[in-house]
Amino acid sequence: MAQAAAHDHDHGHDDHGHTPGFFTRWFLSTNHKDIGTLYLIFAIMAGIVGGALSGLIRWELAEPGIQVFTEGSWLAQIKIAGVSLIEPSKHGYNVVVTAHALIMIFFMVMPAMIGGFGNWFVPLMIGAPDMAFPRMNNISFWLLVAAWVLLCCSLFVDGGPGKGFGGGWTAYPPLSTSGHTGPAMDLAILSLHLAGASSILGSINFITTIFNMRAPGMTLHRMPLFVWSVLVTVFLLLLSLPVLAGAITMLLTDRNFNTHFFDAAGGGDPVMYQHLFWFFGHPEVYILILPGFGIISHIVSTFSRKPVFGYLAMAYAMVAIGFIGFVVWAHHMYTVGMPIELRAYFVAATMVIAVPTGVKVFSWIATMWGGSISFKTPMLWAIGFIFLFTVGGVTGVVLANAGIDYSLHDTYYVVAHFHYVLSLGAVFAIFAGFYYWYEKIWGVKYNEFLGALHFWITFVGVNLIFFPQHFLGLQGMPRRYVDFPDGFAYWNHVSSIGYAVTVAGVAVFMLVLIESAIRRRKAEANPWGEGATTLEWTLSSPPPFHQFNELPVVKPDVH
Amino acid sequence: MAAGVKHDYHLVDPSPWPLVGSIAATVMALGGVAWMKGLFGLPEGTSWLFFAGFAGVLFTMLGWWADVVKEANRGDHTPVVSIGLRYGMILFIASEVMFFVAWFWVFFEMALFHEVRTHSPIEDVRAAWATWPPQGVETVPAFQLPLVNTLILLLSGTTVTWAHHALQQGDRKSTKIGLVLTIALGVLFTAVQAYEYHHIFSHNYFFGGENAGNSGLYGSSFVMATGFHGFHVLVGTLFLIVCLIRLMGTGMTQKQHFGFEAAAWYWHFVDVVWLFLFAFVYVIFGGPAH
Amino acid sequence: MKSSFHAWRTRAAGALAGATAAFWGATAWAVDNIGEPTDRAIDLQPGVTQLRHDAIFFHNVILLPLITLITLFVLALLIIVVVKFNRKANPVPAKFSHNTALEVAWTLIPVLILVFVAIFSFRLLFAYNDMPKPDLTVKATGYQWYWGYEYPDQEIGEFISNNLPEEQAKAEKRPYRLAATEPLVVPVNKVVRVQVTAADVIHAFAVPSFGIITDAIPGRLNEIWFKAERIGVYYGNCRELCGVDHAFMPIEVRVVSQADFDAWVAKKGGNPAGAAAALEAPAADAAATPAAATEAAPAAPSPATPEPQAPAATPTAPPAPAAN
Ligand code: HEA
Ligand code: HEA
Ligand code: CUA
Ligand SMILES: [Cu+2]
Repeated sequence: MAQAAAHDHDHGHDDHGHTPGFFTRWFLSTNHKDIGTLYLIFAIMAGIVGGALSGLIRWELAEPGIQVFTEGSWLAQIKIAGVSLIEPSKHGYNVVVTAHALIMIFFMVMPAMIGGFGNWFVPLMIGAPDMAFPRMNNISFWLLVAAWVLLCCSLFVDGGPGKGFGGGWTAYPPLSTSGHTGPAMDLAILSLHLAGASSILGSINFITTIFNMRAPGMTLHRMPLFVWSVLVTVFLLLLSLPVLAGAITMLLTDRNFNTHFFDAAGGGDPVMYQHLFWFFGHPEVYILILPGFGIISHIVSTFSRKPVFGYLAMAYAMVAIGFIGFVVWAHHMYTVGMPIELRAYFVAATMVIAVPTGVKVFSWIATMWGGSISFKTPMLWAIGFIFLFTVGGVTGVVLANAGIDYSLHDTYYVVAHFHYVLSLGAVFAIFAGFYYWYEKIWGVKYNEFLGALHFWITFVGVNLIFFPQHFLGLQGMPRRYVDFPDGFAYWNHVSSIGYAVTVAGVAVFMLVLIESAIRRRKAEANPWGEGATTLEWTLSSPPPFHQFNELPVVKPDVH
Repeated sequence: MAAGVKHDYHLVDPSPWPLVGSIAATVMALGGVAWMKGLFGLPEGTSWLFFAGFAGVLFTMLGWWADVVKEANRGDHTPVVSIGLRYGMILFIASEVMFFVAWFWVFFEMALFHEVRTHSPIEDVRAAWATWPPQGVETVPAFQLPLVNTLILLLSGTTVTWAHHALQQGDRKSTKIGLVLTIALGVLFTAVQAYEYHHIFSHNYFFGGENAGNSGLYGSSFVMATGFHGFHVLVGTLFLIVCLIRLMGTGMTQKQHFGFEAAAWYWHFVDVVWLFLFAFVYVIFGGPAH
Repeated sequence: MKSSFHAWRTRAAGALAGATAAFWGATAWAVDNIGEPTDRAIDLQPGVTQLRHDAIFFHNVILLPLITLITLFVLALLIIVVVKFNRKANPVPAKFSHNTALEVAWTLIPVLILVFVAIFSFRLLFAYNDMPKPDLTVKATGYQWYWGYEYPDQEIGEFISNNLPEEQAKAEKRPYRLAATEPLVVPVNKVVRVQVTAADVIHAFAVPSFGIITDAIPGRLNEIWFKAERIGVYYGNCRELCGVDHAFMPIEVRVVSQADFDAWVAKKGGNPAGAAAALEAPAADAAATPAAATEAAPAAPSPATPEPQAPAATPTAPPAPAAN
């Protein structure tokens, strides 16, 4: 490699060989693994905050009547410098639901999967020394922190009806324009702008890395499925987020600069926002799950000690999901009064997505079929994922039918659907990946018993939370209700009990982290043996600060 | 570079800019909200915080891109790295295209389906949108200044291509002339646009006029679509000016001048967006000539 | 056209409901509490319109069994895999990673299943769309946070329907958070067209036992219809987040006999004959109706605006939806 040798001498930066000092390393980083670690820590923090907010929701909904979000409740007593943190009012409930969703989606799942695992393992798996734009990589992370700061500020300033923005994560106008006149909504909008910029820059970075930095021999069709999944995901981000940026810019100008995009009295149309939002929003839900698909493929193959079944079909199924994902958005809008032909089209298009998704589910099972499976913690989460995601997916197919969506739209059936694919789908995939790569990332082993305990408690807990919500939805309980008629009391109570169980699971997760940090059992390069075939397992755990100074050469059999 | 590195990728040194830039962005956002609404005790109309953040963002961009230029000059942009930069720029432009899709979406929704608004339960809206252009709206005639502006941008597309070819030939002088012309045309475009806006606003074409109350959507989407385009023209012009400054010195060579190409691509993108705006906003949906 | 197919369908739905009820040890709820949610119930609220029956059929007989089977199938495969192919049972893994026949099968079979589903789905969807000639038009306007109802044909100007306060609901033994201060009153077995809009933010008009929902959107007038086949009280809710009291703007619909309806109209100061007149000229005289509650929401468009295009009033439409 003459080129490398030629520009070897006159470079001032000879610090590549060793790790920089603390501040430089963690605040000015240009190292994909360190940035990935930052993302993961950020995601865990956000997951805990988002999970705590959902605790407030479940606490409030444990029985009919308003117990938490009201003056004089225990929540009202929690004050910092005389100011209650979350307003104990009906508006406060809406704020909490909104923040819960935004935090879980934009600050937990996306940072964990794309920023965390993507940053860590895309370069490792394709045999690259780092990301294509290491410095831009870092601003993706810090812009996310900036977005987080703005969102937090938004919670504590005036929204109009009270502190914070309480218009749901979808932020439909006019509730998000004339319905919330205070600065809280403006802060939330700008927070989304920054989070969006962070993701767009990240997408550019990933696509360039994957297209331009694959090691010799690593053709697209030899690329590990996780890399494929990230590739499809970031394309969805790149093409859908700018549309959201446009939509929320219109919200901003409607609020502050007297435009009339969504103002009916000025000829504008609130439904127009919904189209723009869901043109982003629907691809977004696949953004949340696709990297999980990739992770699950690796785990299933590793612990079955068998290559992935139908590799190409698996890759192209994700591509297909990505494509179709762009043309189904209005299945969230069956009730707005669209022409019937349009509704019929969206019914058909939406159902089509079940086909490539089915290919994935069945291929995972076929990968296990004939395998020699060991049930280590990551595999438990992966099998849990496959089953629970299927449950969430098939209720999605139910909702896709406009005729039945008229009975279920904006009820807890929808809440149950999307938590099965998110809280029991995406989150299970995150935990699966987290345990799978635990030793690789942190350089220490986790405790298998605690890991399995974490899985089982969570499995029971989340099903207890969300399965009864199907019943509530069928009975007609609307979403985003701080209080509900007595006829919904029983299953709500069960659901809230489920939350208590889930929290115990999160506590065990904390134990796992603490235990492994105290014991510091040294990690192996490849703890999973012959089933683990991707390039990251050829490196030490944790890998050197800069890996692949000499690029690996990939032979056909490596997936 | 440390011994043993046997690849051509560019492992960038740790850098303060991402952190500084994000802090500046936070300040700018907080400042913007303080300006618009008042925040944290700052009364509405407080603008210094916004400008402080804005200055920070500009400072970051300056420092960051200065670093990039430095790295380019010292040879970090190996062939494989510069392919990466190309990918990066193309993808960035792709995301910009999608941003404009949002504004065009709204415009088309309004223009193609304006008669849908005649079903509105609001009487004034029904009346205002029974015609195209909506009642109270005076559209800008396409074949006057907008046509001139179209020609200006098209011409600037050719001058920037001329400059590029000259650079590839090693003719730095012609490059500079082509570039100066391009920049001048860009500035001219902005000036014409500013004049047009002035005209629109001062004559209440579709803002604040007596009858325009219920057709505000037209003005909103017209101004935001053309306004965002205008903003991109400004950015593109600045980008070209940076290239010119670099060319004045020793920056950019016959072989390696990706910064220039990126600026040219961006300029073409801005050009194409304008062609769409001209074709649809001004010509096809411009309403009857007057 | 009550075909034998329809009868079979009713029986199948009944059997299924019976089975679930038996499984859960609950029997009585389906009958007693029509029109409101039942605690511990696990299925769709029973309906009193043909559309809701069709929807319940589609869900209970087509969709639910189907997705249950698919899920159980996936679960069964997973259990087999776990039992047969764990490290103890199968120490040496197989090496295969392709099977074209299988892959074609699990692509095509779901396609066929979905086509099957789509047939029922589209019929239901179009049935919703085929509004018979309406006997009555009511206009519902969503406000933060109450409904305004108006009967243009009967010349009843807009009146306000609020959430019934808790004390009063208790006293009257009516379900708090479902009962309203003033119900929407409609005659039984009549096609009621509901025109829905909103004055401030988006709301949604939803009544589960009629199987209907439509968004109430400022600047838009959406239409739905129902034909309630049983006298009774049916509750619904605002089902689109509309701010602070979103959970407290219920919908109470009282389905009454024609005579009771006429009496109610008279009591409201309306013109019962208007219903008949309306068949000739639907909603035409709506503009003359005085608005009762515009002051309540100053930004509101006049709730008494005419509805000029009346899109769905196709006089030749058959009296029953096409889904039968
Ligand atoms: C990870 C996120 C995620 C994923 C993957 C999905 C996947 C799907 N979703 Fe979901 N959805 C959400 C997140 C997600 N969704 C969210 C957040 C909302 C609510 C937003 C809001 O309003 O706040 C929502 C709402 C939502 C609605 C709107 C409901 C309403 O508001 O009334 C609809 C309607 O069509 C829908 C449909 C689907 C479908 C058809 C799929 C399909 O992709 C599922 C495909 C998968 C399977 C079908 C299972 C596996 C397949 C097989 C085993 C093969 C055999 C199967 C068959 C033949 C059926 N979703
Ligand atoms: C990824 C998305 C996500 C996740 C994980 C969750 C998790 C949970 N959600 Fe949420 N939820 C949403 C997305 C999500 N939710 C959305 C989009 C809405 C709609 C909002 C709206 O209407 O606008 C919603 C709304 C919503 C409602 C409806 C409120 C209403 O309509 O009034 C309820 C009610 O019970 C609820 C409850 C819960 C509960 C109990 C959990 C529990 O599962 C929480 C338990 C906690 C965890 C499972 C997280 C643990 C994770 C970590 C600690 C991080 C790990 C990270 C690494 C390892 C890197 N959620
Ligand atoms: Cu009105 Cu919700
Ligand atoms: Cu969707």
